[in-house]
Amino acid sequence: MKVLVAVKRVVDYNVKVRAKADGSDVDLNNVKMAINPFCEIAVEEAIRLREAGVATEVIAVSIGDKSCQEQIRTSLALGADRGIQVETEGAVEPLVVAKLLKGVIEKEQPQLVILGKQSIDGDNNQTGQMLGALTNMPQGTFASELVVDGDKITVTREVDGGLQTLSLNLPAIVTTDLRLNEPRYASLPNIMKAKKKQMDVYSPADLGVEPKAHLTTLKVEPPPERKAGIMVASVEELVDKLKNEAKVIS
Amino acid sequence: MSDLLFDLTLTDEQRMTRESVQRFAAAEMAAPARAADEAAVTPAGFYEKILELGLSLMPIPEALGGAGMQRSPVSNVLTAEDLAQGDLSMALGSLSPLAFVNTLIDQGNDSQREQYLPRFCGEAVTRATIAFMEPRATFEPTELHTSARRDGDGFVLNGNKTMVPLGLDAQLLLVIAELENEGPAAFIVDGEYAGLEREPEQHMGLRTIEMASLSLTDVNLPAEALLGDGRFDLQRFLDLSRLGICALAVGTCQAVLDYVTEYCNERVAFGEPITHRQSVAFMIADIAIELDAMRLMTWRAAATAERGGDFHEQAYLAKIFCAEHAMEIGTNGVQLLGGHGFCREHPVEMWYRNLRAIGILEGAVSV
Repeated sequence: MKVLVAVKRVVDYNVKVRAKADGSDVDLNNVKMAINPFCEIAVEEAIRLREAGVATEVIAVSIGDKSCQEQIRTSLALGADRGIQVETEGAVEPLVVAKLLKGVIEKEQPQLVILGKQSIDGDNNQTGQMLGALTNMPQGTFASELVVDGDKITVTREVDGGLQTLSLNLPAIVTTDLRLNEPRYASLPNIMKAKKKQMDVYSPADLGVEPKAHLTTLKVEPPPERKAGIMVASVEELVDKLKNEAKVIS
Repeated sequence: MSDLLFDLTLTDEQRMTRESVQRFAAAEMAAPARAADEAAVTPAGFYEKILELGLSLMPIPEALGGAGMQRSPVSNVLTAEDLAQGDLSMALGSLSPLAFVNTLIDQGNDSQREQYLPRFCGEAVTRATIAFMEPRATFEPTELHTSARRDGDGFVLNGNKTMVPLGLDAQLLLVIAELENEGPAAFIVDGEYAGLEREPEQHMGLRTIEMASLSLTDVNLPAEALLGDGRFDLQRFLDLSRLGICALAVGTCQAVLDYVTEYCNERVAFGEPITHRQSVAFMIADIAIELDAMRLMTWRAAATAERGGDFHEQAYLAKIFCAEHAMEIGTNGVQLLGGHGFCREHPVEMWYRNLRAIGILEGAVSV
């Protein structure tokens, strides 16, 4: 079984991002970039499937300019077999990403596509679902457990108030939640080996897609500063304030 | 290597390696460091995890089962720095087998490489170390009292060594000694040889790495125990070791800087964070400046070594600078936290104790 994993280059989760002074975007100058944590979980899940003998090949795909090859290399160092970069310029919207991934799926014919449920920069949570609609493949989103059984998979989803278990026919799309697994760190010899693994580069035109912008960013600004808190003298005062000032209890 | 005079851009592999090592250091070293220090033992399974990370097999040729990375003092310095940011003590423990491997690659002969290096590429942990320092007040690295004399085809080794990392149970030891009438030499000593006694040592810092003193009494060694062709380049070994020690200092001082910066920005006194006080802000700024200088001196010497240049003076200057400032940064780390710094609840007192070793170690890690 061939598994396709999508990985995105995002600002490292440890970085405190700042808005640019002109409010046009987030300032990415000299900011540490990393693989999106949910995508890393997707890579880990695919590698575990291969280690378990279920998957035969794991392909990591990323969409972006040349710098996203670093995240593909990281996926290769973690254990993916080969990489694909779809070379684009500037920001790409979820719908375009989904269309490009559909193009890759048509070329590669994977049985299973694993994506992060969302990226920690845009927080859109749209690509996996859009890809499901475009490819007409069943989707299991927010997966906290994934079991492959012949030509079906069972996906346990984290939903409000509990867990939902779905059975999907392959080929299928799965998006990962935080608790699906704990990703490994790449071993140093595997980082070396990643250099020798195959990486193909496609243009959107190769995949029959013309990237279009449907959204315009009007303004990017930091959240308002929180006002300083106050100390209350007693529980009674706290309850009174919660009731009458904050009005969060009645 | 870039043609530019001054380019500190890391290669893709170096960046990825740092990322992996930093994550490893945070999860597997920094997190359990305090408990390990209190108990004076390495956390269970730690060396198995280091084996999985693949630290020691990196420079070993592919034909012998390693990863065949070109020997790179710069990459080694970066790794030592990142490990020490997790914990200096465990970093020294993880680097000791690598130092053995590197020295064998650097100065050993083919048959020694073929015999010993595959042992670092298997599934089992091989504990190896270098025994260099000697227990006396006027220890001078270039005048070793541990002596070897030729005896038939083999050698007889006598003397005492101290502060040997992993010394308590290392299976392979590289013992540096003075070969009678010939000069400094290194010997590969199997931990099982008769005449080798080990004694655990207790130190104020570096408590987790089972440091030991060794006494060698008429240890009989076969001819092939002599490293390389017999001429051991002690100066090169010392210079590479100094780079390792500098990098360890840089990593731990980075941990101190990160910790005190966050603490002092959050700690409120007289209604505002204490970083608003110049006496605190200047102290933190000084740490940052000194740390940057320590790092740059270390990297420069490593880069010169990597290009095959004469890095003796650069390594020596870096070592003296790093030793002085590492100890100062250690004590200032404690000072900046005030009473909390003295308290074992915070890691700064442990870093202070560990950093104190930087001025004392000589030749324990060879990058």
